Amino acid sequence: MTPTRLRRAAIAAAAAALAAFPLLSDNAYWQNLAIMAFLLAIMASAWNIISGYAGYVSLGQSAFLGIGAYTAAIAATALDVSPLLTAPLGGVTAAGAALLLALAGRRTRGIAFVIVSFAFLELAAIVASNWSSVTGGNHGLALPLPTWDSDYLNLPFYYALLALLALTVAGSWAIRRSRLGAGLVAIRDDESKAEGVGVPAARYKTAAFAASAFPIGVAGGVYGYYVSFLEPAAMFDIVIALQIVLAAHLGGVGTLWGPVAGAFLLEPLAQFTNQSLSGPDAGSWRLIIYGGLLSVIVLFFPKGVIAELVARVRRWRGAEPPALPGRRLTPVPRALPWTPQPSPGTGPLLVVEGLTRHFGGVRAVDGCSFTVERGSITGLIGPNGSGKTTVFNLLDGGLRAQAGTVHLAGRPIHALPPHRRARAGLARTYQATRIFPSLTVLENLLVPGRGSRAGSGTGSVAGSTTRAREWLEFVGMGEYAGHPAGRLSYGQQKLVELAQALMLEPRLLLLDEPAAGINPALVERLCEIIRTLNRGGMTVLIVEHDLPLVLSLCDRVHVMAEGRVLASGPPGRIEHDPAVQDAYLGEHTTAGAAK
Amino acid sequence: MTGLAQTLAFGVLVGGVYALAASAMNLIFGVMRIVNLAQGAMLMLGAYLAYSLWRATGLDPLLLTLVTAPALLAVGWVTYYLFVERARTTDPPTALVTTFGLALITTGVIALIWGNEWRLAGPGYAGRSFTVAGLHLPQAQVYACLVAAVVLGGLWLVLNRTWLGRSVRAVAAGPEGARLVGIDVRRVWAASYALGVAAAGAGGALLSVLYPFTPSSGYHWIGLMLSIVVLGGMGSMAGSVLGAVLVAVGEALTSAYLSPGWATAVPYLVIVIVLLARPQGLLGARLREDMSRA
Amino acid sequence: MRTFLGSLTAVLLLVTACGNGSGTAGDTGPIKIGASLPLSGPVADASEPAYAGYKVWLDRLNRGGGLLGRPVELKVLDDGFDQNAVISNYNRLIGQEKVDLLLGTFSSKLNLPASTVAERHKMLYVEPSGGATEIFERGYEYLFFAQPSTSVDLPEQFVAWVKSLPPEKRPATAAYPTQDDPNTDVAIEAFAKELGALGVRPVYSQEYAPETTNFDTIAAAIAAARPDLIVHGAVSADGAGLIKALQKQGFSPKILFQTNSPSVVSSFPEAVGPANTEGILTSVAWSPATPYPGNAEFVADYTKAYGRPPTDDAANAYTAGQVLEAAVKAVGSLDQRKLADWLHANTVQTIVGPLKWDERGVPDGDMLLAQWQRGELEIVAPESARTGGPVITPKPAWAS
Repeated sequence: MTPTRLRRAAIAAAAAALAAFPLLSDNAYWQNLAIMAFLLAIMASAWNIISGYAGYVSLGQSAFLGIGAYTAAIAATALDVSPLLTAPLGGVTAAGAALLLALAGRRTRGIAFVIVSFAFLELAAIVASNWSSVTGGNHGLALPLPTWDSDYLNLPFYYALLALLALTVAGSWAIRRSRLGAGLVAIRDDESKAEGVGVPAARYKTAAFAASAFPIGVAGGVYGYYVSFLEPAAMFDIVIALQIVLAAHLGGVGTLWGPVAGAFLLEPLAQFTNQSLSGPDAGSWRLIIYGGLLSVIVLFFPKGVIAELVARVRRWRGAEPPALPGRRLTPVPRALPWTPQPSPGTGPLLVVEGLTRHFGGVRAVDGCSFTVERGSITGLIGPNGSGKTTVFNLLDGGLRAQAGTVHLAGRPIHALPPHRRARAGLARTYQATRIFPSLTVLENLLVPGRGSRAGSGTGSVAGSTTRAREWLEFVGMGEYAGHPAGRLSYGQQKLVELAQALMLEPRLLLLDEPAAGINPALVERLCEIIRTLNRGGMTVLIVEHDLPLVLSLCDRVHVMAEGRVLASGPPGRIEHDPAVQDAYLGEHTTAGAAK
Repeated sequence: MTGLAQTLAFGVLVGGVYALAASAMNLIFGVMRIVNLAQGAMLMLGAYLAYSLWRATGLDPLLLTLVTAPALLAVGWVTYYLFVERARTTDPPTALVTTFGLALITTGVIALIWGNEWRLAGPGYAGRSFTVAGLHLPQAQVYACLVAAVVLGGLWLVLNRTWLGRSVRAVAAGPEGARLVGIDVRRVWAASYALGVAAAGAGGALLSVLYPFTPSSGYHWIGLMLSIVVLGGMGSMAGSVLGAVLVAVGEALTSAYLSPGWATAVPYLVIVIVLLARPQGLLGARLREDMSRA
Repeated sequence: MRTFLGSLTAVLLLVTACGNGSGTAGDTGPIKIGASLPLSGPVADASEPAYAGYKVWLDRLNRGGGLLGRPVELKVLDDGFDQNAVISNYNRLIGQEKVDLLLGTFSSKLNLPASTVAERHKMLYVEPSGGATEIFERGYEYLFFAQPSTSVDLPEQFVAWVKSLPPEKRPATAAYPTQDDPNTDVAIEAFAKELGALGVRPVYSQEYAPETTNFDTIAAAIAAARPDLIVHGAVSADGAGLIKALQKQGFSPKILFQTNSPSVVSSFPEAVGPANTEGILTSVAWSPATPYPGNAEFVADYTKAYGRPPTDDAANAYTAGQVLEAAVKAVGSLDQRKLADWLHANTVQTIVGPLKWDERGVPDGDMLLAQWQRGELEIVAPESARTGGPVITPKPAWAS
């Protein structure tokens, strides 16, 4: 059997075993253990969507358990139906509450977001305990015993949570395979870059927060009924929140099955430490042992116990993909996979006027104005610190201009957020490449999606995949489609990033020092590619240090110094412009002195 | 009017102790960018140490900061190499889980040694107050605030007037740069972590006189300290002092004029509002990696 | 990791099969009793004496030949004051340890879900603590409370004493601070209602969060209202916290009643200052000095085993054991239905006095009114259980 088929068979067998288990054994202890493990697996798997894929580590996810539980219980009491029926309502409320957290996720990231999510959890608990007219406050809400025959005991809880777990994992899988999933991982790797290639980060994160909260909310509804008693301190519990984080870590953050497997490992472990000790000091020892386990696990298996074991087994079996072989470069195809359409309007494609950005007292860009003609390859040169890259950052929206306007094909774009500028037809590469290392080469191209100018970029994934392969072939990276992008060489990453920008099918391609740091053969190839693109009808703006390269490639060159354009003209004239020589000579002397 | 003045006085006096506890957490955060969830348990360790020394010797628990701070410095040093050293190098969740594990272990050890009964050190002045212009200024709070100010002053001197302090600030500004100028970054991390824990040890001694405590009382201090760190600005010691007074006054005002039931919500509301409205806090520098561009 | 999932399930099934294979112990082995206690976490200080109380009861039982001629074993698990864990623990006790009888856990918060697990499995559930009203309003048939009365009945003795005072000595105004806790706030509500009926005017009434440690502003507000009486719904350390804060305010009410805290004899006097305890009232379920049968033996056994006198919590646990013991001995079997029926119909003699339950499992006994007098916690009411002198009133001012 192939590994894929083996894996599928194993999953099917595990699912069947779990489905059949309560029919074979009516042992309440094992059923309870399984129910708790399902619950933790659902939460960890759902947490993984926002915290694993998108990298927004939430310590507040257990709040959704409480929100779901309270909603389902209150609705069930009001409607006089079983809380199992109102559990989905709990999911809806949880998803709604997640929008609040998503708001926080738009303003903060990293450790600051962790702190906000923690505060969110604690606030939810305080609201629940003070809003006693609805929640019963610290008196809690007692739910009636299940009405079904006691012979069935826990079966309805068991199957409800098992089904929910299956749905959560399926949902997580679907998300990871979709444009949304690739976008989320891109956000984790490099959020501003993701926006730069057209990912609507705020919308994606909001969707991920809601998708992450919904299953936890539904599970909360079921769990609340199972424990039969809701109380703020237990329902909004930081320990549960940390168990979620730990379960995901045990299995492997950001993987599909890791959080589930982690939960199945952690729950028995937690119960073992509870139950294997007896005597009045049991409590203290339990804290010490459990705390020790937590620390040891994350310290010695930072990527997850299961993920690292799998990696170790792979290495042992020699199944690790071999190192990338150095490949001979294939010639650049003559034809483009896509022909740029003429842009609307007349006059220059890009008109920049009075662009200004100061950092404190430093006038990085100071009233910079220039144009880029349709169908041209235009160069932007200047000494270090003259503001070239800042101009790029202002053009693509990575930085906000303090003054000035930018028009692309007659349309003002200086007020648009980065992803809208990308959709308007602006794509760029970075001086130090910024591809998404956790994604494969192909996925890197799928993040922007295809033909983004058409609108929101919701084109079919299949169509995008075909086009992505074509662009990879075009830049000569077709062989590497399935490789993790983070393992490519620097030059290869540059080519991938170029292909990624081309996926946006831009009107204007911004290249920030494309030739820096790569070998001469690759520089040659890059020039080929740029010329071919330009012949195909694409307009290109290049920032470059390598003067001979710029002079040989460009139709027109702008020279920047001290944040503004000093001189403009065809390469031949610029070369001999005394002002330009002054600027560069000045730079060379100071640079030499500094070294 | 005396009601309001009295409430403000309570807030300011408690603020001193809050400032010390929060500065300890902020030092660790500022230098290493980790949220040390064990900081609350370390406070309790300091409190229990001070309590039992007070019981055994009759020495003043506030003066016992001279003992608890060095003792916790050692604890900080050891736990740094056992736990934090490895956690620091990886992502935020790792450090969170590790330090939470450390918090659990510390709580367990405290319970094993001292039992789970709540304690409160009661030196003679604990129930007395100074009366100034009709205001009650509890003596214990006044003394604790003074001791906190002295410890904070000492910490400030260490950070601003010693070679170690300069290294600490260099590492806080950027470990790579610090390494380039020949600073042993690992040792600086260890030193600042140990210093942070030592400050918590001093804070614990102060708490042992002020409020009853149990081994697990450390937990609610985490939210409190975090809110102060966030409000004052991550990495800014002056900010922590200002933030501590504001949070303490906010709590006192909420308790007096709204309801004691909502007073515990103040720190968390502060966190949410500050991080959404002014992520760098009052006196902090902007951390680029911690926020999206608005 | 996918294959791992499969193998985990296989292991799970295998272990389960073994678990089932061993089957239940026969009728000749020891009788197994299971309980879970919050031996770590915020109420661990009350649980450790409770654990000891269970042990002292168990040892006495086994010295006397056990139950039904079989020795008795006790398995106690720790739940860390976590609902999730308490449910798992009782499920484990019932499903995996195959215990024959259950004993309850501590606090209302944990007894609420734990009693549900027992009820679902139709197991008798005698709880030593957990007097919140909600517990008994769910129509459970296997649930019994082993204290003399629930939180609602707490004011009984105190109110009777206030009523006995001549009108000019009765408090005119009262403050009612309480922790937001399912036990204390119902008790304080009952106090306010019954004292209100006697004409005591409330001047302060606020709930504070369980995490509250700083009582300065609360004490300042109370002091500003200058009540004659403070009835404080304290749970544990908050009792000492409020008293310290009142001392700093220089305010001492004529009468001070606190739930729970003043009965913790090991830390309360030290925390508030031994001289300051004088005159503080509280209510207890039990006293070492009451003449109920078996009480002296319990105090002696406990003191011998643990080197210190038992607490209220220890006595409550011991009482729960006594209730279970009486039912099994009377019924002569471990049939849970019959045990519950018997307890609903009969009176049990315990160290807190005779207990008799209504259909909800609520007992009708009396709590005791206690007061700190000359450094000792003495029973002052009812008259039959009195150990100390007459109630000291008004309470003397703070000593320092």
